Amino acid sequence: MDRAARVGAMVSDDRGSIRTGVTHEAADVTAAAPGEFVIRHGDTITRIYAAASEGRLWVFVDGDVFEISDESDEQRRRPHRTHGSLSSPMPATVISVNVAPGDAVAAGQTLIVLEAMKMELPVRAPGDGRVRAVHCKAGDLVQPDLSLIEFE
Amino acid sequence: MAIRRLLIANRGEIALRIIRACRELRIDTVAVYSDADAAAPHVRAADAAVRVGPAPAPESYLNITAIIDAARQSNADAVHPGYGFLSERAAFAEACREAGLVFVGPPAAAIEAMGSKIGARRLMERAGVPVVPGRTPADQADAGIAAAARAIGFPVLIKASAGGGGKGMRVARDERALAEAVPAARREAQAAFGDGTLYVERLVDRPRHVEVQVFADAHGNAVHLFERDCSIQRRHQKVIEESPSPALTPALRAQMGDAAVAAARACGYINAGTIEFLLEGRGDDARFYFLEMNTRLQVEHPVTELVTGTDLVRAQLHVAAGGALPWRQEALEQRGHAIECRVYAEDPASGFLPQAGRLLLYREPTAPGVRIDSGVEEGGDVPVQYDPMLAKLIACGETRDAARQRAAAALRRFPILGVRTNVRFLINVLEHPDFAAARLDTSFIDEHFEDLIKTREAPEFVRAFARRNPGPVNRPATAGHPAVADPWTVLRGWGRW
Repeated sequence: MDRAARVGAMVSDDRGSIRTGVTHEAADVTAAAPGEFVIRHGDTITRIYAAASEGRLWVFVDGDVFEISDESDEQRRRPHRTHGSLSSPMPATVISVNVAPGDAVAAGQTLIVLEAMKMELPVRAPGDGRVRAVHCKAGDLVQPDLSLIEFE
Repeated sequence: MAIRRLLIANRGEIALRIIRACRELRIDTVAVYSDADAAAPHVRAADAAVRVGPAPAPESYLNITAIIDAARQSNADAVHPGYGFLSERAAFAEACREAGLVFVGPPAAAIEAMGSKIGARRLMERAGVPVVPGRTPADQADAGIAAAARAIGFPVLIKASAGGGGKGMRVARDERALAEAVPAARREAQAAFGDGTLYVERLVDRPRHVEVQVFADAHGNAVHLFERDCSIQRRHQKVIEESPSPALTPALRAQMGDAAVAAARACGYINAGTIEFLLEGRGDDARFYFLEMNTRLQVEHPVTELVTGTDLVRAQLHVAAGGALPWRQEALEQRGHAIECRVYAEDPASGFLPQAGRLLLYREPTAPGVRIDSGVEEGGDVPVQYDPMLAKLIACGETRDAARQRAAAALRRFPILGVRTNVRFLINVLEHPDFAAARLDTSFIDEHFEDLIKTREAPEFVRAFARRNPGPVNRPATAGHPAVADPWTVLRGWGRW
């Protein structure tokens, strides 16, 4: 089998749906290759390339490079666990979020279910506590090191 | 004597370019590398590789003893110097000859003759080639340089007597600027060429930079392969080159070609070389002045290859081995148009500050009529020690406009992430109305700088994408295994397609 076709098959499940802040119009994101994404937004199709390092996301669109640092997302980017937050170990799709802010949770309780490479991956509470904030919702494509949920 | 095994005394894209020519000719290749380049693409592409020293160029790529030793050790019978580094050092050509190695370049005497700006000018004047007023002051102290500048008349250009490439070059419009320019130029010249000797020259205002490719063999044949227009420069370093030059009339082209061949013959030249001219004025009345001769292959040689249908590196190897020139002058012609864009790791908005770091993502476009010569790859590092050029994108087409539009379209599909580059800047140059109309001179970039560094705001869908994907989208390959199987890492492991 041709290599490109195999890659396509491997990544076809890493498909997420994003919502733009202004119009609330759904945009569909497909990973075409590592770091290469096709975004369908309304009737426009745009191919973008993205890579991240040291808290900075680089995005290439049609000859322009945008460097987006996470300053506005500082709250969301606390180191996981030490501050009572959990993140995904790999890029994954959120299947379900089983708790809401304010909920009391017990150690071992499943808080979020992720899916990656056709495997479900439960995110469990490391101890008893209360959920302070949830930073994802079902259908999101999430990345490693991003806080998904915070609790106290 | 046929070349069997070639050592390439260079790195990056030019080392790879030479390796490609050797593969076609079934010549074995030997790479050399510094500690900073142990994992560089040119090292893996060559059939063998020899370490020549630590990262700083003077201790590795400029170390003649280490490079000759590497050639002996690898049993090479020839050396190609590429451009930059040791390519224009007569002592290196001589050291190769003494070691019984074929030097793929001109005889040491020709490098010596054209390397000395004073000697070259005298030679050119005798050969009937026009020259710009200038001199290398015998008194190299600040006062001596200043006296020379006054005698020639401001504005002046201060440059390294030993080399080209714009290194160590400064403009001084008056005495005060001169006092600042001289020490800086001297330091740069010393660092780049190991020789701080300075040359002072009248600055020809708003010239075009037009150069002629020449080629000569050891049997008395010499031809030119037409011109390249290299007027788009920043800090006296070329950024975009093209052939044919939109500034030349057929009569002027013929005159410059003849002058270039006369220049090559005057210095007993053999192999590929370039005669650089400054062009002032327009039409048949334009005047040209000999600027200097580059006694080596040029960075921008692909532009000539695409319009003449030649392989200059292959011809270099053939001529170095004692062969006759593969072309007669009458058989050479320019067809269509070619434009080269140099993709640099630099930040145009911060005064073209060179950038170093890891290429998190690097994907070269492929398209009809587009050639890319590069020396980097995704996941690799751009080291701080060397020239920050990542790649050359060369586009050709039936007309200048076709080539220009092809180049811009290909740059729009050339994503490079992790290190800032001049890709958007290059697109802006190509699409500038004055560039499109071929209204060019060497001050083009300074004059249109504000227009050329324009970027657009991130579109809303990019910001939305970023909000959802602030984590590592495409994690760079790491030496160790990730703690958790990461689908992206798995995909990367299949190789770069």
